Amino acid sequence: MSALTIALPKGSLYEESAALLAAIGIDIPSDPGRRLTMMSTDGSAELLLLRPTDVPAYVEFGAADCGIVGKDTLWESERSVSEAVDLRFGACRLVVAARRADGFHEGARYPTFLRVATKFKRMATQYFSERDIPCEIIALHGSVELAPIVGLADVIVDLVATGSTLREHDMVVVDEIARSTARFVLNPVAYRSKYARLSALCDRLQRSLVR
Amino acid sequence: MRLPSGVRDWLPQEFAFKQSVEDRIAVVFDRWSYARILTPTFESYESLERGLGEKLMRQTFRFSDPLGEELALRTEMTTPIARVVSTRLRNASLPIRLSYIAPAYRYEEPQLGRMREFTQAGAELIGAAGADADAEALFMAIETLDAVGLSDAQFDINDSAIVDGALVTLGLSAVAARSWKEAIAARNLVDLDSFASRDAVHPERYALLRRLIVTRGTAEVLAMARELAPNPEAQAAIYRLERILARGSNLGFGARLAIDPALLRDLEYYTGFVFEGFLGDLGFSLCGGGRYDALLPRFGYDVPAVGWMVGVERILLALERRRIGERRRREVDVFVVGSDRAAMAERASGRRVRVDVRGLDRDAAMAYARHKAIPRVLIARGDALEEILLEADEQAPL
Repeated sequence: MSALTIALPKGSLYEESAALLAAIGIDIPSDPGRRLTMMSTDGSAELLLLRPTDVPAYVEFGAADCGIVGKDTLWESERSVSEAVDLRFGACRLVVAARRADGFHEGARYPTFLRVATKFKRMATQYFSERDIPCEIIALHGSVELAPIVGLADVIVDLVATGSTLREHDMVVVDEIARSTARFVLNPVAYRSKYARLSALCDRLQRSLVR
Repeated sequence: MRLPSGVRDWLPQEFAFKQSVEDRIAVVFDRWSYARILTPTFESYESLERGLGEKLMRQTFRFSDPLGEELALRTEMTTPIARVVSTRLRNASLPIRLSYIAPAYRYEEPQLGRMREFTQAGAELIGAAGADADAEALFMAIETLDAVGLSDAQFDINDSAIVDGALVTLGLSAVAARSWKEAIAARNLVDLDSFASRDAVHPERYALLRRLIVTRGTAEVLAMARELAPNPEAQAAIYRLERILARGSNLGFGARLAIDPALLRDLEYYTGFVFEGFLGDLGFSLCGGGRYDALLPRFGYDVPAVGWMVGVERILLALERRRIGERRRREVDVFVVGSDRAAMAERASGRRVRVDVRGLDRDAAMAYARHKAIPRVLIARGDALEEILLEADEQAPL
């Protein structure tokens, strides 16, 4: 029987992903080094080590049967994958944040044309359009908190885990948009064609969380 | 010159491969006595719109003619067929069996298995309700995939009445039930769990529903469904699925059929029985279909219908991955130099003829025939005709 293919995100979610898989009997190294793929110790699973934002594509196309990915990545990718288990780690919030001095968090009015810097274009667009707030979305790829400081944007939409980055830059949360945690995702067709193994894997993951 | 994204050229060998698959599909359609039909590539948006769900509406290529009438390229064939049946075939005796192999158009992000122009093959059985008609659609789809060489395709079947019945017992509002169904269709258990706490559903009842929708199988799924969805509609649907499974087993399809209670397909379109065919090594489904009793009434013709379709390019993709190519056939049977009448006679007797247009001499003609693996050469010499047969080992391999 061919091994299950599991897409894993490198980076911040990797360590907890590896620990979780180990807890349900799929042993993999806690540090993958520079490998792209590896087999679990028992040979039951092949792991693909991917950039987090690439996990949904691998799973949607069936190159991986399943995978672990942050909900924040799923928001922005329009990939259709099944979210089978909320793994609860990697918790963070997507928020609107601004400089404390601007007072938006205390009810100060937004400027007529709000400029929003973000890595989360879809979520930001949806949030402001649902509230009929005219805005211009400035898509950035990193260090979004710099944008209001240098006057590129009025507010940012970004992920916050502990809030320390915002505090460092004297910024505050204006509103919370959504909460994210890591998810175990499935290719819908793989769930059917490898039903016995994938449904058992979901059950084991779910049970390991309850404990 | 570049092509717009999402469309492609089919070069001779690629096209021959596609054509050979379409031919095999057409044979199955014919053997099931489904007459082929073709509708225009574009028609008025107002007509196509009646069959479109929200997603397809966003994916429709729309444009207007010089008088301002809104037109659109068809995104699938079922809606145009519903239009034809409800107008020009209105007086035909029911049930009507129609099939098609035709391109359709959708605005999609082009990617593997999804093009903006793609070929759909499908069949519609209009004017028949009940499990026998549902079974016909399913068995025809199975035989079609068998005929193209994908006899390991699996088929999951379901009836949306089961999930509907189970949701009714949870006492949800219509709006809430809709969001539940969407989560079930996407098998998004994380959302479903959150809806269960949002809507304060009885935890034990929810656990049973959750177990039903993550289970895929046959008898055990039917047993669970029978308990969870006691309403008459669901019970009737369960009975129909049971009969379809039994008839499928009788045909030897038993190991390839399963019930997936979460298989709902397009919620706005299908009204009961649904199925999907897929392969283990392909991350997306190959074919699918189901009952769409609400479509023809939108054209003012109140008759039930069931149908299914398969993506031709997806079949090609699956075959290519298994390295099942088209068997290359000989392109030319005879090469004729210098005689129109000989060439005409050869064509008339059904052979593929290539005529020399470059004034080749005998040696050059022979070299050409050898190079192209043409087994026979006819060369005019005055009024006479020289015939040369090339030995098989003299020809280049096919």
